[in-house]
Amino acid sequence: MMAPLVPHEMLAPELGLVVALVTGILFGFFLERAGFGSPRKLTAMFYLQDFAVLRVMFTAVVVAMAGLLILGGIGRIDLEMLAIPDTYLWPQALGGLVIGLGFAVGGY
Amino acid sequence: MSPGDPAREEHTYWSPYVAGLGIGLTLLLTFYIMGHGLGASGAYTQLTAKLLQRITPDHAQANTYLKDYLGESFWQSWIVIEILGVFLGGLMGALTARRFRFQIERGPHAGRGSRLFLALGGGIAVGFGSRLALGCTSGQALSGGAVLAVGSWLFTLTFFLGGYMVALLVRREWQ
Repeated sequence: MMAPLVPHEMLAPELGLVVALVTGILFGFFLERAGFGSPRKLTAMFYLQDFAVLRVMFTAVVVAMAGLLILGGIGRIDLEMLAIPDTYLWPQALGGLVIGLGFAVGGY
Repeated sequence: MSPGDPAREEHTYWSPYVAGLGIGLTLLLTFYIMGHGLGASGAYTQLTAKLLQRITPDHAQANTYLKDYLGESFWQSWIVIEILGVFLGGLMGALTARRFRFQIERGPHAGRGSRLFLALGGGIAVGFGSRLALGCTSGQALSGGAVLAVGSWLFTLTFFLGGYMVALLVRREWQ
């Protein structure tokens, strides 16, 4: 079975919505367990008190990245078919800055 | 202790590495099946487009940005269903950990009104920024970061920069 499954037509696109619900539930559950329902915990990093946001985020990025590389290396996933965000340096730099400001002020 | 004091909850949270592993595997599963990662802000764009279409269809159709979001029905949109799942998953997490309650979480010296006012301002900034960057912390930092997208890593860097730039000004709101 060649992944990614939906782009390779190994799985009907209609089932994609079931996948959306399941992965969404898992994502929300783990975020809550990390303590990310609390804006005080989310912003504590900016006061050098609690770096859980950084730890959770980078652990997740490294796990997914390593998983993709391993699955790609043993030929179980076609890395060429993955959606990689386009690069627009200035909009992304400015957007990130504005979101960072809003996150520290709004708490989420 | 004030309501929602992080210190009171701290011992009930999972280790950040365990929670991060869970999120990482969820993200990997999403890429494995769908070929794309997880998102969040796109659901709000869907909502905006559909609300505008409901109120003034001509204007929505004439908007070059939002008209691309009018094609599929709201409840058939992948990211809308995903965010519905995030809401349900978060609710399950809070209920099973017995920390579900209604509150306006803030620092011990922060007023309710100012906290809500700042939440609105922060929300507007996050909404605007996520359209500018074509994604938020989920779509760019997390999903784009995992596939080593250059712009996503730049986004992650300036996200933290923005937070540290403004944090001292709103210290009383949280600390």
